[in-house]
Amino acid sequence: MRNSSIFRLLFIGLFLIAAPNWTLGQIVDPLHPKDPRHAPAMEKVTTCASCHKCDHPTQDDPCMIHCPRHGSHFYGQHEADEGPEIVIIDQLADLYRPVVFAHRLHADMSNMTGGCENCHHYSEQSGVIPPCRECHDAAKGPVSLNQPALKGAYHRQCMNCHRDWSHESACGFCHEQVHEGIGAAVADTTDIVGIPHPIIEAVPTYTYETSYEKGALVTFHHNDHVDMFGLNCVDCHRGDSCSRCHDTGKSQVQRLNHLTTCCACHGERNCAFCHTTDPKPMFEHTHTAGWALDPHHTDVACNTCHGSPQDFRTPSDKCTSCHIHWEDGAFDHKVTGLVLSEDHLDLDCSDCHLEMDFGTRPSCEDCHDEPMLPDKLPGTRL
Amino acid sequence: MVSRRDFFKITGTVAGTAALTAVGAEASAPHPKLDPDRFGVLTDTTLCIGCRRCEWACAEQNDLPHGDLESFGDTSVFDLMRRPDAESYTVVNRYSPPAGTDQPLDVKVQCLHCEHPACVSACIVGALVKSPQGPVIYDAWKCIGCRYCMIACPFQIPAYEYADPLTPRIMKCTMCSERTLAEGRPPACVEMCPPEALVFGRRSELLELAHRRIMENPDRYHPEVIGEHIAGGTSWLMITDRPAAEIDIPELSNESPAVITETIQHGIFKGFTGPLMLFGILGILMKSSSDKRKEKEDENG
Ligand code: SF4
Ligand code: SF4
Ligand code: SF4
Repeated sequence: MRNSSIFRLLFIGLFLIAAPNWTLGQIVDPLHPKDPRHAPAMEKVTTCASCHKCDHPTQDDPCMIHCPRHGSHFYGQHEADEGPEIVIIDQLADLYRPVVFAHRLHADMSNMTGGCENCHHYSEQSGVIPPCRECHDAAKGPVSLNQPALKGAYHRQCMNCHRDWSHESACGFCHEQVHEGIGAAVADTTDIVGIPHPIIEAVPTYTYETSYEKGALVTFHHNDHVDMFGLNCVDCHRGDSCSRCHDTGKSQVQRLNHLTTCCACHGERNCAFCHTTDPKPMFEHTHTAGWALDPHHTDVACNTCHGSPQDFRTPSDKCTSCHIHWEDGAFDHKVTGLVLSEDHLDLDCSDCHLEMDFGTRPSCEDCHDEPMLPDKLPGTRL
Repeated sequence: MVSRRDFFKITGTVAGTAALTAVGAEASAPHPKLDPDRFGVLTDTTLCIGCRRCEWACAEQNDLPHGDLESFGDTSVFDLMRRPDAESYTVVNRYSPPAGTDQPLDVKVQCLHCEHPACVSACIVGALVKSPQGPVIYDAWKCIGCRYCMIACPFQIPAYEYADPLTPRIMKCTMCSERTLAEGRPPACVEMCPPEALVFGRRSELLELAHRRIMENPDRYHPEVIGEHIAGGTSWLMITDRPAAEIDIPELSNESPAVITETIQHGIFKGFTGPLMLFGILGILMKSSSDKRKEKEDENG
């Protein structure tokens, strides 16, 4: 027998002896490196299919199933004051003084732009938010190529906004370098603890001057949107970084991406809806819809008729589209503020309100020869 | 004694052999066998924040002259486009922000550690070697200072210590081979990079990672892994938000330029044919002239 065949047999023999001793719970071969984060999961692994999609995973194509731990899920409602006021980051104590991260301040600001989810991309199903270092390894390099280590995770998170804000990557903004004479131990927190982000007061009306020739002015009534239409900050400010307010280098127009912000709701309007030659007045239902809310509809919330701001609809301006029970003759004209006189009581609605159009002034000419309205009424005003 | 006629016959044969060898070299450009698990680095320029910490770490690791850590916070260097030079193996350049944003794009530049490096094949004494594990390594001891590698490199990477009159060296990134090869540790720049814009690992896995990032964030990346194919592939890969040409990566074919350099160099030098031929011709010339002199002396004598 040739040498190579002997070796082959020997190899197969060894394989057969070794194989039955493998248990998946303690896989330590180089293909299944012992990653401490996977240890609890590996204990429970019973078959290859617990982790691999295909029947024959290879090193080239391990066909791993997607691990729910590695996705982005965020469960539960959280408030800014749930989290710690400050977080001290002192992994690099030899090079830098500890970084004092003003957690509460950032959480306060995030309320406006999307909440905790802005930074915490993962939480347990129960809503518990694990600290970053629970998944992102504090060791120097990434354990897995797919996931940044703690250093990378922190820097990507912080620099994502801070770079936009200050236009530089100045390390010193967060890291005070350790010099001779300055110890690494104590971190000064006096300017952070107990100091919340000031309440953000919006200007009631912004008037933007644009280069659009046919209508250079865009008037934006912020308080209309907040107080009257009931929008929440995140509806428009989702994902805004701090630079929206703090970057003084940008003009207001630059800071506002009207294509995504305004057009999200007003996308179907033409340019002239916003771009006008004179400042646009504040919202007035009569002007926009053709009939006044006063006096009967002043207490009706917008969304009762129009749905949510994100799902805005314009109902028909026929009264009966909402007041459906008026159709069957059960309408008391008194609610309009006008008690009909006896000779008008038995008329059909459409005799005066032609084609049941209640938006325009009724016509009297079909029955009366001389002009009646507005001097002579078909009843008495209340 | 070699007659004039014989002389032409001999030189003709030698030259013919050399020409044949050159053709042979072209047909089978010898590439070192690369380890399928060879190392590489992936630069994700969209994550780079331009902090220049990699420049500091590299200088520190490789004993290059440099200022203190804080001095690397100077962003005025971005006013000009820089190339790696004899005092820096790597530099970071800043490009204008992508449309609609105002975060600039910062791009780290260093040797890409080509899979079939032109610099290696241009080097006639083997001072530059492609390690099967990835790095392209330089040996100053063998280097004769011809600087062919500088001309051959399609990315204009190798620099020369012109300022050193006694022992000038070729200077270029080593992929920190003394860390990566000997200890399996990531290069100094990779270890330093705060947002982990640089990732060290097996080239095959990095390639997969790069493609996955592009696939998962199609808006963020230009759909090309720089280094996957360019110039025959490189061990150092890059992904970025714009076409490679816009970050000053030359437009090269996917064929390694080494094939051309090799064809020339090996044609001339393979099997020492060239020098042999030269010395052969010189030898023959010397012999025939000395013979002639002898003849003359004989005649005269
Ligand atoms: S980039 Fe240039 S110096 Fe680096 S390996 Fe390729 S050819 Fe050589
Ligand atoms: S791999 Fe090493 S030599 Fe190359 S740029 Fe990075 S630190 Fe410098
Ligand atoms: S250290 Fe990393 S982030 Fe900083 S400049 Fe270098 S590659 Fe970019």
